[in-house]
Amino acid sequence: MLSRLASLWRNLFRRERVERDLDEELRSYVELLAAEKVRDGMDTAEARRAALLEAGGVEQVKEQVRDARGGSLLDGLAQDLRYGARSLAHSPAFTAAAVVALALGIGATAAVFSVVDAVLLRPLAYADPERLVVTLHHGIDPVSPANFADWRRQAASFERMAAAEYWTPNLSGDAEPETVLALRLTADMFPLLGVRPLLGRALLPREETPGQDHVVVLGYGLWQRRFGGDPGVVGRSIALNGEPYTVVGVMPGGFEFPPFWATGAQMWAPLALGNRAANREASSLRVFARLKPGVGLGQARAEMTALTARLEGEYPGTNRDVVVRTLADAVTGDVRLALLVLLGAVAFVLLIACANVAHMLLARASARQRELALRATLGATRGRLVRQLLTESLLLAVAGGLAGVLLAWLGIRALVALGPATIPRLATVGLDGGVLAFVVAVSLVTGVGFGLVPALQASGRDVNDALKEGARGSTEGGGRHRLRSLLVASEFALALVLCAGAGLLIRSFVALRGLDPGLDPRNVLTMIVSVAGAREGVPGRRAAFFERLVEEVKALPGVRTASAINHLPLAGDIWGLPFHVEGRPISRPGEAPTATFRVVLPGYFETMGIPIRRGRDVGPDDRRDHPEVVVVNERLAERYWPGEDAIGKRLTLDDAGQNPVWLTVVGIVKDTVRSDWAAAPDAELYVPYLQGRGYLESSSTVYSYLTLVVKTSGDPIERAPAIRRLVTSMDSGAPVSAVQTMDAVVADATAASRFYLLVLAAFAAVAVLLAAVGVHGVMSYSVSQRTNEIGIRLALGARPADVRRMVVGQGLTLALAGAAAGLVGALGLTRLMAGLLYGVRSSDPATFLAVGAVLGAVALAASYVPARRATRIDPLRALRSE
Amino acid sequence: MPTTTLLQGTLDLIILRTLLPGERHGLGIARRIEQITKGTFVVKPGSLFPALHRMEEAGWLASSWGESENNRRARYYRLTRAGRRQLRTETDEWGRISLAIAAALESA
Repeated sequence: MLSRLASLWRNLFRRERVERDLDEELRSYVELLAAEKVRDGMDTAEARRAALLEAGGVEQVKEQVRDARGGSLLDGLAQDLRYGARSLAHSPAFTAAAVVALALGIGATAAVFSVVDAVLLRPLAYADPERLVVTLHHGIDPVSPANFADWRRQAASFERMAAAEYWTPNLSGDAEPETVLALRLTADMFPLLGVRPLLGRALLPREETPGQDHVVVLGYGLWQRRFGGDPGVVGRSIALNGEPYTVVGVMPGGFEFPPFWATGAQMWAPLALGNRAANREASSLRVFARLKPGVGLGQARAEMTALTARLEGEYPGTNRDVVVRTLADAVTGDVRLALLVLLGAVAFVLLIACANVAHMLLARASARQRELALRATLGATRGRLVRQLLTESLLLAVAGGLAGVLLAWLGIRALVALGPATIPRLATVGLDGGVLAFVVAVSLVTGVGFGLVPALQASGRDVNDALKEGARGSTEGGGRHRLRSLLVASEFALALVLCAGAGLLIRSFVALRGLDPGLDPRNVLTMIVSVAGAREGVPGRRAAFFERLVEEVKALPGVRTASAINHLPLAGDIWGLPFHVEGRPISRPGEAPTATFRVVLPGYFETMGIPIRRGRDVGPDDRRDHPEVVVVNERLAERYWPGEDAIGKRLTLDDAGQNPVWLTVVGIVKDTVRSDWAAAPDAELYVPYLQGRGYLESSSTVYSYLTLVVKTSGDPIERAPAIRRLVTSMDSGAPVSAVQTMDAVVADATAASRFYLLVLAAFAAVAVLLAAVGVHGVMSYSVSQRTNEIGIRLALGARPADVRRMVVGQGLTLALAGAAAGLVGALGLTRLMAGLLYGVRSSDPATFLAVGAVLGAVALAASYVPARRATRIDPLRALRSE
Repeated sequence: MPTTTLLQGTLDLIILRTLLPGERHGLGIARRIEQITKGTFVVKPGSLFPALHRMEEAGWLASSWGESENNRRARYYRLTRAGRRQLRTETDEWGRISLAIAAALESA
């Protein structure tokens, strides 16, 4: 063993000396031989020639000696690599096509796999995240405080149960005031998640009492940005909504609250429910829980079902459809399907790329038949030839893999930059070890898998046959041609599935974009202005502030009109309030009709381009001490006063039994989109801001902000700085946030669909391109192999058109056979993406027809080029070309 | 005179045997083999040198540069201790095989 190693060492590192020795030894052998012959009477020159002849090819002997020595395997490998690289460099078009195909396949797969890995596969960054669940109405809707208290007390499946509530306080102080996204949490939320603060402490149970709840834990990002990462911030007092809060802790970097909701919260304060604790109507809490060890999800669900059924009996209408989901499920939710569809699609792209490379290798192997046969007759063993061909395909795969990594890196950057905000954890996506390992594995499998078949085929043939066949330049052997045709047909099948998927997404997107939002988003600027804790924020001054703000904005240059609303459609919150229609029986609790509650300043409908169908807009006189009025949307009017004129009818938002305040309907407006772009409109009502009691009287900060909407004559975003300055000049403590155009809000609403569409369409385009290259390659090769036959046909009087038809016909047959198979596959597979579609069935015939036609046209074009070349064959040259 | 290809393995044995009296260079070994097999075996450089190098790698032979009888540089091979052991083993082996084959042929 040791001597083998020593010899390996010698051969590897003293190769030069060994080679020199061998050279000299053989030279000396020839000289001795010649000397012998001179002794026998030959003259010197002749003796030397005879000696050389007898030695029988010095180079060959050297080769045999090298083979016999240790280290020859490595020698051979280096030689294979050199030879492979040289032979690839000799056919740059083939090499480039193969490397590009592989790079596209590997790069796209690695990029999508990175996203899937980060978003779906990587566990959430909490202790035992698989035991975390969320318990919400319909799996997404918030829970009332009283329900939360009952569940927490009675459910035995959970180790802990905690709740969170949305909170957007104004943070003021030395720097410019800003609205911070924050959460109010029950104290056991942090222990439930199993995370500890970086500095200071988390929240304490006794801080859930009103009066003791003015403490806050900062997020790492906010701590760095606003407090310069100063550890001394713990214990310091900061102003939130104008009230002092003591910082008790700072969370570590990378901690974020479960990102299925309130993503990006930067601050956590105790949830002190006080007298809200017994409220079973107002639902504002998100409930999180940790399963006890050994308790399964099914068991917890069964218990919650029984528990909520009991509570529903006790308090009707309060405990319907309570769903327990794992936190991971809640986080990935709707995104899972889309990402899995993309992963499937990209796997298809990779398969197509591999098929492409495989049939290119096959074609190349056939074209090199004579070269290989020659090498075989010169003594190369079959193993040696297979190794040679495998080395070549591995070289290709490695080059493709390297280029693929580069593409993946670019692709990931593009996906992260373009991806919609609805994809959780997208910012954490990156090329990591796992993905690189994946790329290496894919490269190797591609290289070996798709190099092996052609290598075995090419080397396994009878040498004589090969030489003869090659010499005749006739049609290639049947088996290999069938395999290549099969590969190209499969490419078309896969490409058709991808195109069908992309086509369906395009139709969905067109349908989505065709939806009428009921408003005109052009030239509208929106921003949230909050006066919580500011000088103008006290209930007595708030209304006057907003009224004056809108008037002064209207007076700015470039502004056509302006108004304000509590929650902007699509971007803002949705408050559903129960109401009663005058003259109808009083509903039981929980069964009253509900409508989305909006408050608006005059001019909102004009600014947003929402047509008033009947009646009038909210006017400047609709204020306190004037008759209380309401504007409703068509949906509400039709549903509750069908066949009647809703104008003049009355409804109330109060408890109908207790001498309520009746609101008279003065206007009916067109239905608009609410929060979900594709959802059908629902009942909405608009109350004049100056008559909204909560907005005028309550000190609660939920009433302390409005969204300003401004219709401009030019680019709306250019007006933003002037409006900001105006707000600051009116109250320096009032922060402006969420500045965006209404166009951007609308675009965001369909951003996810657009994103999936773009990615899938890109994959489909790559697939079609690869398939086209495939059919072109096969037909070109077939034409070049059949030069002889085509020459004879032409010589015998076939017209060029006949030849063209024959070649194009073969290419088309191949493509259409594949496409037909793909059609069957697509019908099955697109059903899986039904959840991503809107307004189109997964088996939409128009889409499938169009996609089939496109692929047919591509196949036609791709076979036409070689077909034309075939007609230009000169019969005489073709026959003489041997 | 008809020449015969040496059986695989037999060449090693014969080369080892020719080196038993002392060191020789490549051509010397080839000539000596022709001589002792009475011209039955002619060893071409294409099989001689690979065999020599392989046996050197295996540690049965050692080589060094020296002067030939007519003052030319040549590479001389000699048996190592392991080479002598190998020669003994292979000779015994060969004896057994040839006896067995002779017996088989006689009995037929």
